[in-house]
Amino acid sequence: MEQLMADLKAQIIEQLNLQEVKPEDIGNDEPLFKTGLGLDSIDALELIVLLQQHYNIRIANPEQGPEIFHSIRTMAEFITAQQKQQA
Amino acid sequence: MNIYINGTGCISPQETAQIGPLFSPLKEYEQVRLQTVDPDYKQWIDLKQIRRMSRAVKMGVGAANLSMEEAGIKMPDAIITGTAYGCLDDTGVFLNKMVSQEEQMLTPTAFIQSTHNTVGGQIALLLGCNTYNNTFVHRGFSFENSLLDATMILREGEAKYVLAGGLDEITHYSHQILSRFGLYKKAPVKTMELLKSPDRGTIAGEGAAFFVLSPEKGTHTVAELAGISTIYKPLWEGEVIGAIVKFLEEHEVTLEEIDLIVTGRNGDIAQDDIYEEVAAALFPDHPEACFKHLCGEYPTAIAFGTWMANKIIAEQDVPEAAMFYGTPPAKIKNLLVYNHRQGTHHSLILLKAC
Repeated sequence: MEQLMADLKAQIIEQLNLQEVKPEDIGNDEPLFKTGLGLDSIDALELIVLLQQHYNIRIANPEQGPEIFHSIRTMAEFITAQQKQQA
Repeated sequence: MNIYINGTGCISPQETAQIGPLFSPLKEYEQVRLQTVDPDYKQWIDLKQIRRMSRAVKMGVGAANLSMEEAGIKMPDAIITGTAYGCLDDTGVFLNKMVSQEEQMLTPTAFIQSTHNTVGGQIALLLGCNTYNNTFVHRGFSFENSLLDATMILREGEAKYVLAGGLDEITHYSHQILSRFGLYKKAPVKTMELLKSPDRGTIAGEGAAFFVLSPEKGTHTVAELAGISTIYKPLWEGEVIGAIVKFLEEHEVTLEEIDLIVTGRNGDIAQDDIYEEVAAALFPDHPEACFKHLCGEYPTAIAFGTWMANKIIAEQDVPEAAMFYGTPPAKIKNLLVYNHRQGTHHSLILLKAC
């Protein structure tokens, strides 16, 4: 889980071109949207694509979005759960 | 109605975003492609927004802000942009992803940022400006048409302050493609020797220049935008010469009253011929200044030329780096900018000191 969260931070920084943000600046439980990193709706689309590209995971139910993308930890938990299902 | 230039802003391969005498210090290059000297854009754009912006957007927003700061206004009544290439870099990113990802899982950012009106839109978004916003994409006339639209809006009384400008960026891909068309020199050339270059091709450039235009003079107003005219695909040089004579007559200025001509010579012997013909026919003894060796060639380079012309009027002097023929006149009241792009798009801009 720790490695996955570290990977996610690096991938998010690259995908969203978060200039002057380092992986260690992003807390595992810090909210990604509004407060915290302050991401917006365009970033949400970028994160959906990131999950598809890097983890081959599609979000079937869009209403799950706020829950999945709440923080790095919730994203990592969602990915782990999906990978277990696929295995 | 007189239309005044109340503020200007320019981001170019010269250090034009800095306050100080024109081209001091001068940036000299020895290459075939010039890139802008970028100021710290964070002074105008929030860090969270800047990450999505390509260089074209940033240079446009920067130049627009510089011009509004000089004009002392916070909100224009209209925003008019001219660009031939638009946001090429993001267009390239988006198209590359379409190919590499086989049209699947395309992200929105590059697409959103790739349209020609992205710059005008971003300026408006950052200002919270909901008024008239238009972008002209007319190749070598893009900037001229944005100025023309601005003057018409002002004359109709629909606006008091119009922010108008021109910009284009050069990217790795566009430079490669345009090089194949033979537009550029095959080997690097010193910028200060470009205009005496004996062969075909020029150097590529990029930049953004914005102007706040108004029927009322501002604190920093030095010039009036007295006239703009375009000539598309003239059949021969006589047509251009005739158009210049007519243009000056319409604006009640004689050839003798023109103190300085600013031409768009770019060091391509085939393209500079017409400047020689025009100078010989109409301005044999007039001093001439040039600008494309300082900013490079691009479809809206005349925006840089117009910015430079306004600064020359402000300083009442022509920097040595810009002087091409003759000596700087003691007084600069009437200044004619004559530029052409690829021999097809010819334009005239008349500035009068005020």
